Amino acid sequence: MTSESAIDDTQYPQRTAIGLSFGNSYSSIAHTADGKTEVIANEEGDRQIPSILSYVSGEEFQGTQAKAQIVRNPRNTIAYFRDLLGKEFKDVDPSPCHASAHPVESSEGKGVAFVVQEKEVAEDGEEGEKSTLTVAEVTTRHLRKLKESASDYLGKDVNAAVITVPSDFTDAQKSTLSESASKAGIELLQFITEPISALLAYDAKQQLTDSGSSAPQDKIVLVADLGGTRSDVAVIASRGGIYTTLATAHDYELGGSSLDKILIEHAAKEFQKKNKSASDPRKNERSLAKLTLEAEAVKKALSLGATASFSIESLGDGIDFNLTVNRSRFELLGNKVLMSFTRLIESAVQKADLDILDVDEILLSGGTSHTPKIASNLQSHFPESAVVIAPATSATAINPSELAARGAAIQASLISGFEVEEIGASTEAVVTVTPHLTHAIGLVTGEEGFAVIVPAETPAPVRRTAQIVVKAGGDVLVRLAEGVREISVRTEDKATTNGNAKKDADEDEDEDDDSDDEPEEVREKVWKAGKVLAEAGIRGVKKGGKVEVQVNVAADLSVTVVCREVGGKGGVRGTVPAGKAEQNGNAS
Amino acid sequence: SLPTDWTAEKDFKSISRVTQPTARSLEPVGPHFLAHARRKRHHRTFSEDERI
Repeated sequence: MTSESAIDDTQYPQRTAIGLSFGNSYSSIAHTADGKTEVIANEEGDRQIPSILSYVSGEEFQGTQAKAQIVRNPRNTIAYFRDLLGKEFKDVDPSPCHASAHPVESSEGKGVAFVVQEKEVAEDGEEGEKSTLTVAEVTTRHLRKLKESASDYLGKDVNAAVITVPSDFTDAQKSTLSESASKAGIELLQFITEPISALLAYDAKQQLTDSGSSAPQDKIVLVADLGGTRSDVAVIASRGGIYTTLATAHDYELGGSSLDKILIEHAAKEFQKKNKSASDPRKNERSLAKLTLEAEAVKKALSLGATASFSIESLGDGIDFNLTVNRSRFELLGNKVLMSFTRLIESAVQKADLDILDVDEILLSGGTSHTPKIASNLQSHFPESAVVIAPATSATAINPSELAARGAAIQASLISGFEVEEIGASTEAVVTVTPHLTHAIGLVTGEEGFAVIVPAETPAPVRRTAQIVVKAGGDVLVRLAEGVREISVRTEDKATTNGNAKKDADEDEDEDDDSDDEPEEVREKVWKAGKVLAEAGIRGVKKGGKVEVQVNVAADLSVTVVCREVGGKGGVRGTVPAGKAEQNGNAS
Repeated sequence: SLPTDWTAEKDFKSISRVTQPTARSLEPVGPHFLAHARRKRHHRTFSEDERI
């Protein structure tokens, strides 16, 4: 290599970066090339790779093969370990691991470990020494395997990744995961949270579909990540493609396995009904493991089709079991659990101090989001203005199992060219902590009305432009103000329908169209103008002309307004100075 | 429409200031955030950033 070479390979090592979603139940890997993101299937053909490791006569198995070992070889099979990472033994909930290897307190100190028969059993039948594997070591082996699958597929060594974590992952958990990744030969570029990753993947897809509009719309999005053993919800303000998490809610017991349990109960009862003498398959560990595996498969089939069949060879006492379940039966049995997803999602809205009318989109992510009833429950519970994005409600929805990995892959492609210091500098609090508008800024319309230009919770600095049509022409007064969102609640008697009420009644029709004389409660979002910030006069506007209003909010919250007639000359420009420090209170 | 008695210097009247904001943390993710971080680290405004 000559000294003139512009690129010094030692200074800028070639990165091949992937997006990696590491879950308790499943992990996925994804890659972005030429603007296209794809989720990589491993050598078994799985895109959702079970996060399970199993040791059988000295050999290591992972993924689907390891999952099958929960039936035959439960104590040497490690599953549901992601949430044990970086935690003290006394703080972990070992219940998801009940059917597989049980977590123990690590002899090395505070952490969690598993004891498994990793080495081959000697020929004389004497059991070899058992190994104690820390959760960090298990994670390293799992990540190494994922890295290999990605490398095999891409034909080059994958050496970097963006990894998704839950929004409540602690720094201790992150640093343990980061160490495990580096031991697996993966340079961790950045941790991003699962809901943000899902939203990034969705927005990237939207950008491709409606090409033309440069920046995404301002919206409040609820991202519900419904997993296997837990569910997480985040309320996100998306402002010009920049995301701010307003609130999160978690449930560590609610997930796909809660739905599997319903099918297990149902199948076990039917089995005993058909075979009076047989023992309860739930009481036998091996029978229960078979039921658990099959219940998950049946649940997945019921997300796609109207019927599915349980079929288990030698379920208990050597008896085979066959049962057909249809979707509506499953939804009836699971009604309570299915409703708790809706409740969890709604609780996040309350935590964010918002109303369900403020929610623009509900993005369902995670494997359990395939369940059609969860999406349809949300659609009927939330106002019609909220769009539910799930396979059951939207034809263009991305596979919810893939969203997190896709988002991570997109982020990886954006930053893989950066230097480590550059990534670090961009994620520092100095950059991320930003003033967000407490109230919306917009124009006073009519007497008290208000039209939003910059919504509340928008980070400063921000620039937005709006156009108003001036029908009559002449001189126009533009009044810039802060807006207040109110929820108006009216009870409406349908019998005395007048012109206005009729319109509202139409909107609520499918909610309860057969409520006869019951007065109906109509909730609406209403904008009222609050404090007026500035006034500007634009003179001599043409009849039917348009006035463009540009609002520039600086980082110090001073507001610059530029108003001019579209196509006209000149215009009015002025600045509202930044708020005084004393308005902040007298504490200082 | 503009009231006939309305006047202001250069036709602009500043009346009150924006309410104190809330400090929140942005998610350091996505192309639009990276653009924001670039502006912030180099102390550029929107229009300066566009020119580059």
